Amino acid sequence: MVGLRLVKVSKRAGKRQILKNVSLEIPDKELFVIAGPPGAGRTTLLKIIAGLIAPDEGEVYIGDQMVNTVPPGDRDVGMVFETPPVYPNRTGFQNIAFPLEIRKINDSEIKEQVEEVAEFLQITHLLDRKPATYSGGELQRVALARALVRKPRILLLDEPLKNLDAKIRERTRVELKRLQREFGITMVFSTHDQLEATAVGDRIAVMNEGVIEQIGGPEVVYSSPRTLFVARFIGSPTMNVTECALKQMGDRWILDASGFNVDVTARAHEIESQAMGQELLLGVRPEDIVLLSSPENTGCFEAQVELTQNFGDERVVTIRVGEVSLNCLTGKDRVFAYDEKVYVKFKQEKARVFNRETGIAVARTAG
Amino acid sequence: MPKLVVKNLRKMFGTFEALKDVSFQVEEKETLCLLGPSGCGKTTILRIIAGLEVPTSGEVFLDGVLVNDLPPQRRQIGLVFQDYAIFPHLSVFENIAYGLRVRKMSEAELVKKVRETASLVDVESILDLPSKKLGLSEMQRVAVGRSLALDPKLLLLDEPLSNIDAKARERMRTELGKLQKEIGIATVYVTHDQLEAMTLADRIAVMRNGLIEQIGTASEIYDNARTLFVANFIGSPPMNLMDCEVVYDGNRVILKSGDLALDVTEFAETVRGKGEGEELVLGIRPEDLSLDVQKTNPSAIEAKVQLVEPIGARSIYHLRIGGLTVLAKGYAMPDVNVGSNLWATFNKDKVHLFDKKTEEAVV
Amino acid sequence: MVTKALTETVRYLLIVVVSIWTLAPVAWMVSLSFKGPAEWYAPNLIPLQPIFDNYISLFIPTNPIGGSYFFTSITEPITKPLINSLIAAGLGTLFAVLVGFLAAYGVSRYRAGGTFIIFFTLLTRMLPGATFVAPLMVFYASIRFIDTYAGLILLYAAVTLTYAIWLMKGFIDEIPPEWEEAALLEGASPWTVLRKITIPLTKGGLAASALFIFILNWSEFLFALVISVTEVTTLPVQISKYVSAVGRMYGTMASLGLVATIPSLVLGYLIQKHLVTGFTFGRIR
Repeated sequence: MVGLRLVKVSKRAGKRQILKNVSLEIPDKELFVIAGPPGAGRTTLLKIIAGLIAPDEGEVYIGDQMVNTVPPGDRDVGMVFETPPVYPNRTGFQNIAFPLEIRKINDSEIKEQVEEVAEFLQITHLLDRKPATYSGGELQRVALARALVRKPRILLLDEPLKNLDAKIRERTRVELKRLQREFGITMVFSTHDQLEATAVGDRIAVMNEGVIEQIGGPEVVYSSPRTLFVARFIGSPTMNVTECALKQMGDRWILDASGFNVDVTARAHEIESQAMGQELLLGVRPEDIVLLSSPENTGCFEAQVELTQNFGDERVVTIRVGEVSLNCLTGKDRVFAYDEKVYVKFKQEKARVFNRETGIAVARTAG
Repeated sequence: MPKLVVKNLRKMFGTFEALKDVSFQVEEKETLCLLGPSGCGKTTILRIIAGLEVPTSGEVFLDGVLVNDLPPQRRQIGLVFQDYAIFPHLSVFENIAYGLRVRKMSEAELVKKVRETASLVDVESILDLPSKKLGLSEMQRVAVGRSLALDPKLLLLDEPLSNIDAKARERMRTELGKLQKEIGIATVYVTHDQLEAMTLADRIAVMRNGLIEQIGTASEIYDNARTLFVANFIGSPPMNLMDCEVVYDGNRVILKSGDLALDVTEFAETVRGKGEGEELVLGIRPEDLSLDVQKTNPSAIEAKVQLVEPIGARSIYHLRIGGLTVLAKGYAMPDVNVGSNLWATFNKDKVHLFDKKTEEAVV
Repeated sequence: MVTKALTETVRYLLIVVVSIWTLAPVAWMVSLSFKGPAEWYAPNLIPLQPIFDNYISLFIPTNPIGGSYFFTSITEPITKPLINSLIAAGLGTLFAVLVGFLAAYGVSRYRAGGTFIIFFTLLTRMLPGATFVAPLMVFYASIRFIDTYAGLILLYAAVTLTYAIWLMKGFIDEIPPEWEEAALLEGASPWTVLRKITIPLTKGGLAASALFIFILNWSEFLFALVISVTEVTTLPVQISKYVSAVGRMYGTMASLGLVATIPSLVLGYLIQKHLVTGFTFGRIR
């Protein structure tokens, strides 16, 4: 049973705190994603797991063993770096064989293992060629083959899809997931692309500025974000966030944002108790906003179209309600013109509330 | 009169034919996108329009005037590079003023022009800031501003959003879109990202191997792809493509692919005569497959889930239907997992048919 | 088109002119080396009466060619200065490159010496050599390094070390550190990494740096003049002895000059294969 565990890991570089008290636990055979913007500390975290960087504080456990003092070569960890380590002066075969070469394994065994991995990743045709002729995708695979040839118990991938063309990225994403399932290997995958993160991961750790903001499955980080950052990071187009105030209107409770409001009578109690007198932020996802050409009787607000973007099977319409611009996701059937007047309706139960100061979510709803 | 006319461009690099025969037009205030995979020739076209490359044959007209022999600085074209190429040691003001200084404009006029341009791209508040301190979106606007200061007739952008991380790209896309609407200058830009193309361009030219396969608006290209390549390239996840053949069974017309049989009798006229007996390819976009846990629709086909990719409110389902792997995009269904059975309904209105290579028959 | 043809011809003309400008002195030297004293001042490129005496007298300093022989102090063949130069420049370069490589690696990968170390070390080269010739002489005299091989080699190595570090750091920087980290992760020791990855990949750069430094050392004159007395006279110093108050032995100077360039040429030729790989080191896409 080889899982991975990090306990309160911190790392500083000069004056900057790169990782602050990071803890996480990854069970065996899980595809774990570390997602976050560039500069969040993901690469440093991966390198600490690999043993290439030593943490200032905290412990790293692989399986049950604490590996802080174990050198990288003995941790049995494979890593695919952002710039694929494929040496131009060696053929594909020699590149993949490198780790075995270092361990002084005899030639016939090397040949066998390299060919096995190459066949699995469908790069047998690259074995005799030098990397100068490889495409981006092929480079990636050779690097992957090299990491896998030792059959490590943990595989780390640092932005493996970053340098690939958009189309190839989609395909490779699926392949990596399949590979992980078939090999049954514990995989830690780092990316800045939230779509990749939710599509691929069994669980996701959303990181920002050295801190893990939330860990959970794709549905959880999407529907129940713990902080404002997670809410905005996950989901594309990004969630709309505006300032609001909790007000009582007769027997209804609403969150009043400039130009529209959202009925929260059902949750009023929780919100009130947790956010007494504090400044609040309202978050509504573009897909939870409905655009209508004519108003319905309740809960509709007038708005003007600012911009439309064609996403193929969907459209993103930017509208102006009161003083606020909101992005809305709509189907492709209805075409909205620039400056057209429309009516918006919100899916009340999907709205999220955040404390303005701390960014922490208030009153998480069940669905 | 169209602002830019490109006629029969051909370019050879040694023995390599980078461009075979490219022609298109860009109207005033229109944004055209050259979309294609790496190596299709799109950047070469941009460079030829800018005057940085000379075509082997073919003509480029700007405002009706042939500009083949004009050097780049005389063409009045603005070019924004992939990494914006802002001069780091100069302030924002100086960056925008650069071209004007080269042209030896008078100081008073120069200041006026720079301020005008700055307000156009919304960088007035940071005019005095040194360029090193700029954030990405500010850099983008300064780069565009620098090109606009010279009152170009045409704006060229080379992969404007490719070097940025996903979240920032989303933001910049909206900003660039708004900028384009406000400035209203004829623009040509190059990208390999189909989403970028669709969201920013008035018209898209999809290219492959030195040729334009189709030009049209985003909707046209998305809904009525004319070739297999275009259908596959546009749309994420890509269109499902399956080899199939037309079978006539009495009065019924059926499209057969592997174990899959699709009854398209209602479209008999459109299908008739097209590629009978020939190899055809059936295309359907993932979002045009409706999924349900139960067989509510009589024509639904059984599908087994192989993989689920959650992407926000939706999910991509990798299904095995009749021996083929098909992708479907639909709402996230929380209880559906690998191994579950679903019922898939093909939206027949949206079925595409292609000859093994080239054109389509049905919408 | 007319303008195109015109620019092309102008370009080629320019290349021809610059080539002639650069190679003319060399051609003249070759010609001089085969000429007898009678022709030294003559304008013809091809000697009318070619002789080999200029070359022979380098190795067997016999009878004067030109008569003013005994006014110069040439009494010995150039074999010794030639060998001295080879030893001093060769070993000096070797040490500079070896130590320099390791130092450059430390600076590049481990930030050894801080951010400005390269700047500071290069600063030392800003001073003209003449400024510390005198203190150097005194120092060397006190440790009895005057006119010794050790003294010269050490000096050459020390002086060109800066260039070695600077040049090679650049080449090492070209290799993404992740390529080495991957190997470390697989169990390679840092030395194995150097041996199997860094050096093979920077071979071209190393070769180019070595050649550059060799030429610097080979042609070094000032320090060699000051430090050597009789034992470690190097070639440049020897050449200077052919100049006397009465006249110049142009013939032998030319032949010696040509002979002096041979080692550099040979070295360049031997490593040219590596130079090419070094400079065309392809980036991934």
